[in-house]
Amino acid sequence: MFLYNFKYELKSLLRSKWLFLLSTILLIVMLFAGYNGKQKVNKRIEDFSKITAQTEERDAVMLHVLDSLEKGLEVNMSNNLLPNNPMNVGYRYPKVAALQPKPLTFISVGQSDLFTHTVQPKIYGDNFSYNYSELSSPVQLLFGSFDIAFVIIYILPLIIIAFSYNILSKEKEYGSIKLLASQPISIYSWLLQKVTFRFFWLTLITSVVLLITFIINGFDFGDNMGAFLSLIMITTAYILFWFAIVLAINIFIGNSAKNAVSLLGIWVFVILIIPATVSQLANLAYPIPSRTKMLAEVRNVKKEIAEKQDKILDNYLRDHPEYASTGKEINYSFWHRYIASQNLAEAELKPLLASYTEQIENQQSWIENWQYISPAVIVQQSFNNLAGTSSAHYQEYKKQVVAFSVKWKDFFTPLLYKSQPFRKKMYKNLPMFEYQQPKIASMTFNAFIILFFSALILTFSWLFFNKKSEKGTLIN
Amino acid sequence: MIFQIIKKEVQEILRDGRFKISFFIVLFLLVASVFITSKQYSSINEQYDSAEKNERTVWESQGAKNPHSAAHFGNYVFKPKLPLSLLDQGVDKYTGISIFLEAHNRNQAQYSTATDQTALSRFGELTPDFILFFIIPLIIILVGYNSFTKEIEGRTFYIIKSQGVDGWKLVIGKWIAALIPTLIITTLLFLIAGIILSNIKGFGVFSWSSFGILYLIYLIYYFIFTNVILLISSISKKSGIALVSSLTFWVLACFIAPKIASNIADSKYPYPTQQEFSENIAKEKSEGLDGHNPWNQKSKELEEKVLKEHNVNSVNDLPFNYSAYRMQKSEEYQAEIYAKHYKKLKNQFKKQSSIYKTLAVISPFLPARFLSMSIANTDYQSHINFSDAAEDYRIKTQAFLNGNTEKNSKIGERYVASADTWKDLPRFEYTPASLSEKLNENTSNFVILFLWFSVTGGLLFLTNKNY
Repeated sequence: MFLYNFKYELKSLLRSKWLFLLSTILLIVMLFAGYNGKQKVNKRIEDFSKITAQTEERDAVMLHVLDSLEKGLEVNMSNNLLPNNPMNVGYRYPKVAALQPKPLTFISVGQSDLFTHTVQPKIYGDNFSYNYSELSSPVQLLFGSFDIAFVIIYILPLIIIAFSYNILSKEKEYGSIKLLASQPISIYSWLLQKVTFRFFWLTLITSVVLLITFIINGFDFGDNMGAFLSLIMITTAYILFWFAIVLAINIFIGNSAKNAVSLLGIWVFVILIIPATVSQLANLAYPIPSRTKMLAEVRNVKKEIAEKQDKILDNYLRDHPEYASTGKEINYSFWHRYIASQNLAEAELKPLLASYTEQIENQQSWIENWQYISPAVIVQQSFNNLAGTSSAHYQEYKKQVVAFSVKWKDFFTPLLYKSQPFRKKMYKNLPMFEYQQPKIASMTFNAFIILFFSALILTFSWLFFNKKSEKGTLIN
Repeated sequence: MIFQIIKKEVQEILRDGRFKISFFIVLFLLVASVFITSKQYSSINEQYDSAEKNERTVWESQGAKNPHSAAHFGNYVFKPKLPLSLLDQGVDKYTGISIFLEAHNRNQAQYSTATDQTALSRFGELTPDFILFFIIPLIIILVGYNSFTKEIEGRTFYIIKSQGVDGWKLVIGKWIAALIPTLIITTLLFLIAGIILSNIKGFGVFSWSSFGILYLIYLIYYFIFTNVILLISSISKKSGIALVSSLTFWVLACFIAPKIASNIADSKYPYPTQQEFSENIAKEKSEGLDGHNPWNQKSKELEEKVLKEHNVNSVNDLPFNYSAYRMQKSEEYQAEIYAKHYKKLKNQFKKQSSIYKTLAVISPFLPARFLSMSIANTDYQSHINFSDAAEDYRIKTQAFLNGNTEKNSKIGERYVASADTWKDLPRFEYTPASLSEKLNENTSNFVILFLWFSVTGGLLFLTNKNY
């Protein structure tokens, strides 16, 4: 019987040009989305190469000057800029702390449009003042990007709804359901087979379309097969979830137009209302600490410590440390006091800033737990994690940049205290930044949760089907 | 006759259980969103007030110090939350809330809400604008998708025709009936918002005329949606097809077109990265006058020029503190560099705006969204105005501080200004653009919206079916 059903469905699908239309729509939107994602990644790589090239060029000049200084030759550089002063190297020759794109970054823009991917921590200034936000038009941020994640999360369910909202109700409306009921197969099995068949084709088409998009974007399957398979696994589970809903609605409600309206209502709830509500509830449970209030508090602390700092250091030089040395000799005692004054500011601000970071992290972890309330949110989080564009990735990046900036300062401070100049041979020991990926939720677990949702819906629909059959309201 | 058609349609709508459920859900969501947003609005404004006062106190109580030190201590200006943001938050979430103003540097606004939120908030937020722009059109679809198809499917079209009703009367009746639920929801929302806004203490720049225009913009947006949905219903043969087509239009207009526009705008007219932007400014700054460096080429040129003007041989003979004068000139020079680079950004956005306007051909959402944000003063232009006002204030502050040193001290002197100097600095004032300025800025968006309305309206009347 299954074979008959399979043949019948395939014939009717091919006749109605459903498969062709579906494949074409999906291929076009996916290719466009992939192209958009890839363009953003390419720009990121290009920006990184530019800044690395600039840094290398600067460093080459510095090494050349150091070489001349160590050989006792004259150099063509202002005294206050000479790189034998460790503070000058720490300030003028910073390393790039970059967040490099992952192989799958092009699938989801996530939070990547909000943040910068290259920061250059320097020895002056406090960690508090780093600006991690990227320069972009807020209108673009508001509208978001047309990426693969958008196609899968938003558009794929609509395609499923548009093409399958009436699978059972159509039979009712055409009167063919009575004919079906007289066949030696339960209507539920028949419906399940029909849905399974459509699920199979849509998954196949989506996977092939994704494969084509990935090949065109030069994805390296050899090294990243696991990530690609995770993407397919999550997508498949998500498609199954929507087909389970379609099946349930076809059983619950018996009229094509009503089915479509109800399915759309569910789409709006799962994709728009639930995430928006969770987001609002998170604000109630863990209100985002007001940055306005934080700035006011930072100002108060800064004002208080300014007096203490004045005792350590003249306020003019504190604002302009670059003018501390004017002669050829390095003014080590100034720099000792400068570091002391900086440390004072950092120590005083640390507890205040930490309390703010902690509150934000609390809210984010609350949301992470609540993501499981909607499959759409799970898919979004999973894609962002695969792409390395999730909030966690950027939170981790900020933390690692701060840690790196401490490491960078710690490299030069001992030289100052020992009154040692920076030498050419020390260059290779300069700290380098390497981003460590944060721990992310297992993709298999996420897929399992979505499957659990589907199983739940299928069970309910089966129970409801039996109830309706008993009452005899399924056919009439 | 029109009235009878409206009555019949409304009765049918009211009989529909799905409509009742949806209507109450939307109403509940709206009330919840207005409640949450107004709470947030008041708390943000309280914080804004106290932060502003605190900042001024901190600034005024710096004690005796060198004015240039005070310039480095700087001051923060905070962006006020404006009353109509209660209805449309616009891009507020993506722009920073405060700008640090200091000597030598023009900083960008920092701490946008979006950077502190998780990716979840990118799905959308439960705010009135989210419901007004995305959910209410769904109510129109729900009410109107089968407006004509149901008459064909139920074979009632002939009965209606046999009553001698004119085609255009039928269209008008159905059009008004399809709009009634939307009108009720929208009017109710604006009423609640109006009551809340008029009860907020010191709600400053709130104007009822802006409020009225905003209401009108949403109405036109819904008129267009009603035109399109009824048009689809009138040319479709089955309710199911009409519904799917209407939904396709909704997704295309509200979700896909804005995203496509955003991608095209970004790839055609990209912004420089933060790194590039700062690097370019730093490079130009290093080539020009440096207030702290008397040995640089431009500094020497300035010195020569000033000596010549005052007919003296040494800066010590000048009647003012030359180093403070040079500092001020350098500030002015650097401010010009910043202005030039920020102007480039603004131009880039202008070019991007043309892409949004072009794509408005497939989406009435785009012009309506831009208009609504603009009238509510939550659009990008309003943010640009605020940051320009902050920059003006920064330049004036530097002139005030350098002027103080210039007048009251001599070159080479370790000058300390008295503790009461700081309160002489005028406070930062920011007046958002007026309604007429906003209307002028948005003429093209209004034209596009009216075109949408007239073309879809015209088509609806032209496709008046004959069965």
